[in-house]
Amino acid sequence: MPELWSHKPGDRIFRPRRIKRFRLRRVLGIPAVFSAGYGNVGSSIYYALGIVALVALGATPVALGIAGVLFIFTALTYAEGTAALPEAGGSASFARHSFGETAGFVAGWALMLSYIVTISISAFTIPPYLGFFWEPFKDNIIIGTFTSVGIVFFLMMVNVIGIRETSFINVGATLIDILTQVSLVVIGFILLFDPSRLWQSIINNWPSTENLVLGIALATIAYTGIETMSQMAEETKRPEKSVPRALVLMIVAVLVIFAGISLVSLSAMTPQELATEWARDPVAGIASNLPVEIIRTVLKPLIAVLAGTILLIATNAGLIGISRLAFSQGTHGLVPSFLSRVHKRFKTPYMAIIVFSAIAIVLLLPGFFATDVFANMGALYAVGSLLAFMMAHASIIGLRIRKPDLPRPFKLGWNIHIRGREIPISAVIGLVSTAAIWVIILITQAYSRWVGLGWMVVGMVIYYFIRRRRRKPVDEWQVRPGETAEKKP
Amino acid sequence: MEYKKILVAVGGSDADEEAVKLACRLAKKDKGKVWAVAVVTIKRALPLDAEIQSEITKAEAILDRVENITDEADYEVETDVLQAREVGPAIVDEAVEREVDLILMGFKYKRHFGQFNLGNVVPYVLKNSPCPVILYQQQAVTE
Repeated sequence: MPELWSHKPGDRIFRPRRIKRFRLRRVLGIPAVFSAGYGNVGSSIYYALGIVALVALGATPVALGIAGVLFIFTALTYAEGTAALPEAGGSASFARHSFGETAGFVAGWALMLSYIVTISISAFTIPPYLGFFWEPFKDNIIIGTFTSVGIVFFLMMVNVIGIRETSFINVGATLIDILTQVSLVVIGFILLFDPSRLWQSIINNWPSTENLVLGIALATIAYTGIETMSQMAEETKRPEKSVPRALVLMIVAVLVIFAGISLVSLSAMTPQELATEWARDPVAGIASNLPVEIIRTVLKPLIAVLAGTILLIATNAGLIGISRLAFSQGTHGLVPSFLSRVHKRFKTPYMAIIVFSAIAIVLLLPGFFATDVFANMGALYAVGSLLAFMMAHASIIGLRIRKPDLPRPFKLGWNIHIRGREIPISAVIGLVSTAAIWVIILITQAYSRWVGLGWMVVGMVIYYFIRRRRRKPVDEWQVRPGETAEKKP
Repeated sequence: MEYKKILVAVGGSDADEEAVKLACRLAKKDKGKVWAVAVVTIKRALPLDAEIQSEITKAEAILDRVENITDEADYEVETDVLQAREVGPAIVDEAVEREVDLILMGFKYKRHFGQFNLGNVVPYVLKNSPCPVILYQQQAVTE
């Protein structure tokens, strides 16, 4: 500091030595991002198959396949968005940059719904897998649901206190998860796969068109990891390269494993068995139907422990994801500010964690009385996530039109040229198909329609009041513009 | 050995003072550059760019103290606050990015369940550092 320099009255204190208030240290590489994403997708295998089979019956592999194609389009859209805007928020962030604060809020609020349902649904499917060790976990809905509520409550406490979690554990769990799933697929193909029986099973149990479409919609629950990976962008080294690569890697892994597991499951049991007895623990169903005693003896407890652990990690990931998203939305003035409150001692967003855990527990409560709660949760999840995916597709198209010069380290190919703007075909197909499926779910599923739309209406009311109370013009709502500029590469 | 670039990781303990002084002495000899970094850890339930005012203020205070020490030692040091998920990886990553020749850390004698304990940060840095590490251990306080 120059010797002659001294404070004068009225001087603003300026510290040239620390130009930015703080710098973010991004340490995650492709394996860590991939494992975080696969941790979510890999966990959804343990319940998605059952949910889809509930409605799509014999056409389960077909529904998963069609949803898989949509998943490719969506993953590509996220790859372009995340590479161009590597910050926390995923589709909410794309929408905010493309269409402004209100669209950002809608996408974020929809995402919150899908995170909450992820928490509920993952917690709901842990007890059936643990049924291997104590049968009432699977057979008694009161004990099962009570355990699920207990799990969410336990994770809520753990997250309020704040635990140390290393990405090493995530990478390790993902690796064991993939190995077990791949070995199950390989063993299943060797011991069970019978093309003619499978074909008969599909043909004889073909669902109605309405159920097939609903099956495709529910199958999107299998592909939850995209948003998580996008959320990780802010702590990834060179996100513009590593996130798209991790996404492409995940597309391949997920499609191969889902295709394998769904085909093996229909070879192992009838669609009716899959949709009733094994709906909540389909992978355990495959292991129980293997014809070789010794493999069955080894795999059954292994899958019970592994599925329990992976689903617990997924429940926790949902809780962490929603609290981060709420905080990020809160700093942009898009959710009530109390949700961004950080605990004095534990330094965690305790209000967000408590509020969203409580909502997840409320969603689990019908499990004490009703039997169709599982399918309802699946459809509700699809309502939230499809809306977020729609916003993501629309935002990518919107950004191409409004900000054609935005640096895009990963740019989608196959574009159509309209008035000098490049519109990616995959995003258009993704937008149209996700929108169509979303509308169909809203029309056919009463529970998802009222709960999902109710959630969005409550959100809009909250948003309206936040805006009115702050009395600021919409365009001025870019809180800390310097901060957003700072994050860009 | 020549130390042109030295990274000092400070955490607010009394050992920081000696570590910073030592860094200045070593750097003076070779006319090197010294960076002092304080790492603010952010829990995974928050986004990495979450501003936790109390923690940032604490880190700024630590760095202010470092600057006072370096003023006394008559050497210029660049200071920075880092936000990261964990301290160890953040220090190592900073060292890699700045291509430093030496990492210097102050360390307070600690006991955990009656046993001498190094904590998590020091072993991580020792294991993963791309350059030599000097660890200054503060003398144990006899009770």
